[in-house]
Amino acid sequence: MYKYSEIDKKIVANRVKQFKNQVDRRLSGKLTEDEFKPLRLMNGLYLQLHAYMLRVAIPYGELSSKQLRQLAFIADKYDRGYGHFTTRQNIQFNWPKLPDVPEILEELSKVEMHAIQTSGNCIRNISADHLAGLTIEEIEDPRPWCEIIRKWSTFHPEFSFLPRKFKIAVTGCSEDRAAILVHDIGLRLIKDKGDIGFEVFVGGGQGRSPYIAKKIKNFLPKKDLLNYLEAILTTYNQLGRRDNIYKARIKILLNELGIEKFKEFVEENFKRFSNKKLILDKSTIKNIFKFFKLPSLKPGLEKVPEIKNSLFLEWKNQNVLPHKHPNYSIILVSLKSNEKPPGDASSIQMRKLADIADKYSFGEIRVTHEQNLVLPHVENSRVYEIWNELLNINLATPNIGLITDTICCPGMDYCALATARSIPISQKITDHFKNYSHQKEIGDLKIKISGCINACGHHHVGNIGILGLDRKGKEFYQITLGGSAKENASIGQIVGPSFSEKDLMGAIEKIIKVYKKNKIYEKEDFLSVFKRIGIKKFKEKLYDNN
Amino acid sequence: MINIANMAKKLEGHTFLLSANDLKTGKVLFYTSNGWLPELNKAIKIEKKSIEKYEKLLKIDEENCLIVSGRFVELNDSGSIKNLRDKIRSSGLTFKI
Ligand code: SF4
Repeated sequence: MYKYSEIDKKIVANRVKQFKNQVDRRLSGKLTEDEFKPLRLMNGLYLQLHAYMLRVAIPYGELSSKQLRQLAFIADKYDRGYGHFTTRQNIQFNWPKLPDVPEILEELSKVEMHAIQTSGNCIRNISADHLAGLTIEEIEDPRPWCEIIRKWSTFHPEFSFLPRKFKIAVTGCSEDRAAILVHDIGLRLIKDKGDIGFEVFVGGGQGRSPYIAKKIKNFLPKKDLLNYLEAILTTYNQLGRRDNIYKARIKILLNELGIEKFKEFVEENFKRFSNKKLILDKSTIKNIFKFFKLPSLKPGLEKVPEIKNSLFLEWKNQNVLPHKHPNYSIILVSLKSNEKPPGDASSIQMRKLADIADKYSFGEIRVTHEQNLVLPHVENSRVYEIWNELLNINLATPNIGLITDTICCPGMDYCALATARSIPISQKITDHFKNYSHQKEIGDLKIKISGCINACGHHHVGNIGILGLDRKGKEFYQITLGGSAKENASIGQIVGPSFSEKDLMGAIEKIIKVYKKNKIYEKEDFLSVFKRIGIKKFKEKLYDNN
Repeated sequence: MINIANMAKKLEGHTFLLSANDLKTGKVLFYTSNGWLPELNKAIKIEKKSIEKYEKLLKIDEENCLIVSGRFVELNDSGSIKNLRDKIRSSGLTFKI
């Protein structure tokens, strides 16, 4: 895991001091809210419906047990005893008080964490495949590359006031678990004639105008990564629209210019920047890679023992994946129980999970963009033991990838921009489909819910997407079908008029019925059926009044 | 400070409550005869014709660093809060945490 350099430490300490001063000036009236707002946003501090909200960065979703314990401490001391893991692998605290925030940032800095660039029109937290470095099919671990990008983008003087926020994701696999095609820039590590480099995708995004990213470079040598990113960001910074917030993202620029013209601008800048000293030499790359070596894994059992316990077996089949080391497993910890909003973890759970990580997984935890957690290196022989411990803290829900593993934004219960609630919808789904065999029978299915068109709940790329709307003061929900954030990324199609909250579960039931009826083989998943039969049959069933 | 110029012109409806968030805690507050309090049932009902008076008050209390994000909350004919966001804002989360 990456360890802060002296420079990193200094940057974060200075920022804490600076923000403390800004908060003091705000509280004494020397700064107005108009003056203070951009400053607090640069430190991840929002004002929501009921309280302030602080978003803390978890670079590429990697946490140490020490950091998780500190997050639990912050949740207890300064918040209401829980934290919310987000769709960009960050964590949010929903109830901090303004005078406490500098102190919270100081506590975070003690464990090499901060809230810098978690908001505002800058390059946000770099996200990555949550299984980075763990799978056999991976070309290369994307985390060192995320770290290189993090270093380059932190307080980048030219890119601190972009036309809009900017999100970058990196994967090292052909199977995309980082949703790179719905990011402003998506990078995929690939091998070409023995050399490893990047495929570069630009202009993906969700919000009111969803787009799948387009490939602008087939193969970018590693040494050129920062120069090329600099070229893309410069193109965007110079040409991106600042007159209309809804047209300010890079996806709009790329589509207005057309991909060829956009590429020309980028390539021109790329040539101009060859003297910018951003070329990455081998030793720089090697030094960063040193932080991401696998821990020393020891030989052991080739398989997870088949204990005769049906609950354990359900969980093992759903939440345990093979590690690239044959004697280890990867454990996915679901944060989608029926007792909590998706992505929430209590301070007790965080603390216990930190202990479990120390005991079984080299003190390492990952956050997934699907709002779950990962224990990356668990000996096969200890999987049953760990399940028992997770069960005790209600973190052994066996639903990874199933219909109750919903992604969901905070919606109108927290968010000032929302047009409808989303968490209660997710809870209804979890309750309705609580029977595990029913979930299993439905199979892989991603439901993603957003409380407004900003799409923080990724509804556009849900196999079933649900978007909350306000219709004359009443909550209605628009359904889209066929979206995907994976390597075959697609934007869901709207089925038709929206449903009231009361009718929504019935509509989901009908969708599931059409899917089940049209499966041609047992394991055919929802997306594949949808692609084969199209939207018509679903529409007929949904709007058939008979 | 919010821009409250012409706020009255933009408001629909006839009766309102004045609400804001506490600058320090972010907590939802309502303007009452005893100043800013969290109790919705103590909030003063404001007729549209007196909005300007309360706009000024809001501005002063924002400048005095008491509150932030001030707003007028519209009431319906039966005197309860009209819009869902304001309802949730005044009554809290709709699920248990
Ligand atoms: S999608 Fe809308 S409601 Fe949900 S968190 Fe984003 S802005 Fe808020």
